[in-house]
Amino acid sequence: MAGALAGLRILDLADQTGALAGKLLADLGADVVLVEPPGGGRLRAIPPFWQGLPHPERSLFFWFYNTSKRGITLDITRRAGAALLRRLAGDADVLIETEPPGRLAALGCGPDALRATNPRLTVASITPFGQRGPYRDWRGSDTVAEAMGGMLFVNGHKDGPPLRALGLQAYHQAGVFAAVGVLAALFAREQTGRGQDVDVSLQAAVAAALEHVPGLWHQHGTAATRQGTLHWTRYFRVGRCLDGWVMHCTVGDWTSLVEWVKADGMAADLGDPAWEDVRHRATGAEHLFDVLDAWAARYTVEELVSGAQLRRIPYAAVRAPEALLRDPHLADRSFFVPIEHPELGLTVPYPGPPFHLTDAPWRIARRPPLLGEHNAEVYGRIGVADAELATLRQEGIV
Amino acid sequence: MLPLAGVRVLDFTWVVAGPVATRILADLGADVIKVERRNAMDFGDRRGGLSGTLMRGKRSVVLDVNRPRGLELARRLAAVSDVVIDNFSARVMSNLGLAYEDLCRLKPDVICVRMTGFGLTGPDRDHVSYGPTLQALTGYTLLMAEPSGPPAGFGYSYSDLAGGNLGALAVLAALWHRRRTGRGQLVDLAQLEAVASLLGPTLLARALDGGTSAPVGNASQEEPGAPHGVYPCAGDDRWLAITVFSDDDWTRFAHALGDPEWTTRFGTRAARIEHSAELDALVAAWTRTRVAEEAMAVLQTAGVAAGVVANAEDVCARDPQLAARGHFVDVPTPEGRTVRIDGPPFVLSETPARVGGPGPLLGEHTDEVLGELLGLRSEEIAELRAVGAVG
Repeated sequence: MAGALAGLRILDLADQTGALAGKLLADLGADVVLVEPPGGGRLRAIPPFWQGLPHPERSLFFWFYNTSKRGITLDITRRAGAALLRRLAGDADVLIETEPPGRLAALGCGPDALRATNPRLTVASITPFGQRGPYRDWRGSDTVAEAMGGMLFVNGHKDGPPLRALGLQAYHQAGVFAAVGVLAALFAREQTGRGQDVDVSLQAAVAAALEHVPGLWHQHGTAATRQGTLHWTRYFRVGRCLDGWVMHCTVGDWTSLVEWVKADGMAADLGDPAWEDVRHRATGAEHLFDVLDAWAARYTVEELVSGAQLRRIPYAAVRAPEALLRDPHLADRSFFVPIEHPELGLTVPYPGPPFHLTDAPWRIARRPPLLGEHNAEVYGRIGVADAELATLRQEGIV
Repeated sequence: MLPLAGVRVLDFTWVVAGPVATRILADLGADVIKVERRNAMDFGDRRGGLSGTLMRGKRSVVLDVNRPRGLELARRLAAVSDVVIDNFSARVMSNLGLAYEDLCRLKPDVICVRMTGFGLTGPDRDHVSYGPTLQALTGYTLLMAEPSGPPAGFGYSYSDLAGGNLGALAVLAALWHRRRTGRGQLVDLAQLEAVASLLGPTLLARALDGGTSAPVGNASQEEPGAPHGVYPCAGDDRWLAITVFSDDDWTRFAHALGDPEWTTRFGTRAARIEHSAELDALVAAWTRTRVAEEAMAVLQTAGVAAGVVANAEDVCARDPQLAARGHFVDVPTPEGRTVRIDGPPFVLSETPARVGGPGPLLGEHTDEVLGELLGLRSEEIAELRAVGAVG
């Protein structure tokens, strides 16, 4: 079955800051062609590597972000390379790029130049701070974006330093917003017939994924602080069981929770009806979680979580990511998708769909491309003959 | 003309993850009708702040779907909607008779989005969850910590934002599919899987090496490099994030500091990574006496990636870049107030998304929506209100 975005042609010039956007769209069925410099893009040099051996075809970092894409090489900094990019963009729906603002235009491949021949082209740009404003030329990284977007400040223990996210979440939010923005632009094109620019800022993407932080500031003038594992609502905190950590929750079925703790003779003052008021539980959270911690210490994580879920109380194990690989629920839903890498004699279990579309399933259409794997077919399609391609290759443009 | 003009979304979502998905649809011009209970939970002022940011530009209709006549109205609204979306546990909508199969009978090409915690299938499908519990299950809580330190994790429900933003993508993909094929569909979004899909290469690495993950504090998770992390600055709880990857980055960094003698020992990336603890102490000695914004400007002027670890005031009131982007917008309310809320997270050059209005009051649009979409007369609505079917 074809994916939801079957028929869309996308050129993907993004580095790691925007690579997720193309992956999201490719796994949903779009034809995404990754355009790399002849020596390979930056992602291929980023660890970890298969069996620890650094090699452009062995970067797991590259693999993760490039499923379902085809791959070509092109040196867009050369005049002939820029001309080829303009030809490739001639019948594309979308181009995704992460160059510093103005750089593509300087190469003769800015959005306006590309739309002169293909007015229907949408250009999505992902940059540290966006296309305009005083910081537009400043440099960034995932950590700098998480910092300036406000995510980092509220993660970590009270007396410790701010802590960054697991995974490159500034890049990931920017990738999701770029994919959303691209589809929005395509819907607009249905009405206007014209493509447009989608401007995504890593910093703004983080600022748009903060939940309570801006809201509490605008409403009450309060600045959220780090509180360790105590959630800002004060209904969640990590506790310790016999064999590991558990996430407590005091907004599920409170009566059932207290009955359970009481039956174990560990309820202290939690039987006091005042605790039935959810706001009181927030106010007295530190004491409440101290009592629950003393109780939880008698159980294994599995005993506590399964007992809680039976009572409809949202407890959870605090696990490492690798626990997902052995999770029977995810196995039942086939979350991990085995994809062959025949060159390495390897089957790779890729993390699966962010969501299931039942009539147009998410799928990994192909393993990530080898460097320049689809040069012949992609350039052939725009009329570059074999002899011309050989010359381009000789000159180091492809 | 807005990209989603003419698209109607019947929105049963609550708390955070679901509303995050539908607020993007509202920003893009969809008519988002929020179906709420009379005692709906929210976060204070519904116009602005966190609630307003979550509900911006939507209409609020109060229906008691536990009463037959309230449920009947919900079904009639579903029949004239393109998308029906909720983020309850798996069985809630089915128990109400609003499962995908039921909705299909009302509108054959409906897009039904179920944003549950664990999905519609699988042994844990009836488990209950919130953002923090999903972050615990997927590894974020354990691994966001100092090396060999106790778990810290996110200070908030990032999972709700991850699931919500991916939920908006799911709706757009399904709408695109429907425009091409004429077919609607069921979207099964398990927030557990949505946030797990954003773990990135770490999960792939564990799948292949069978190894154990350990917290790495603020070390780089992309290109290896040092210095990398946050460094204390002058003042209370002020920090500067600094990223140095390549030797060129390092040359610019050292130059920005005035090329002090100690920098010569760290000329190669390998040396910087091997002696990163010593390097961190030297960098911290430089930052500690400096105002974070000034140190940031010194480094950025030299071409080094550096940024203040922004608190709420920095993000909302002091950052000139977010201000120049118009990231936060002032929205007038019908009461004559102005509330400041988040604007759309990306900029479209020709058909920009926009905040369609402040958050709605509870049931503010009940009469308007029932009149406009179902043709109910005011006497009928009054009678429904009298029996408690609408609010």
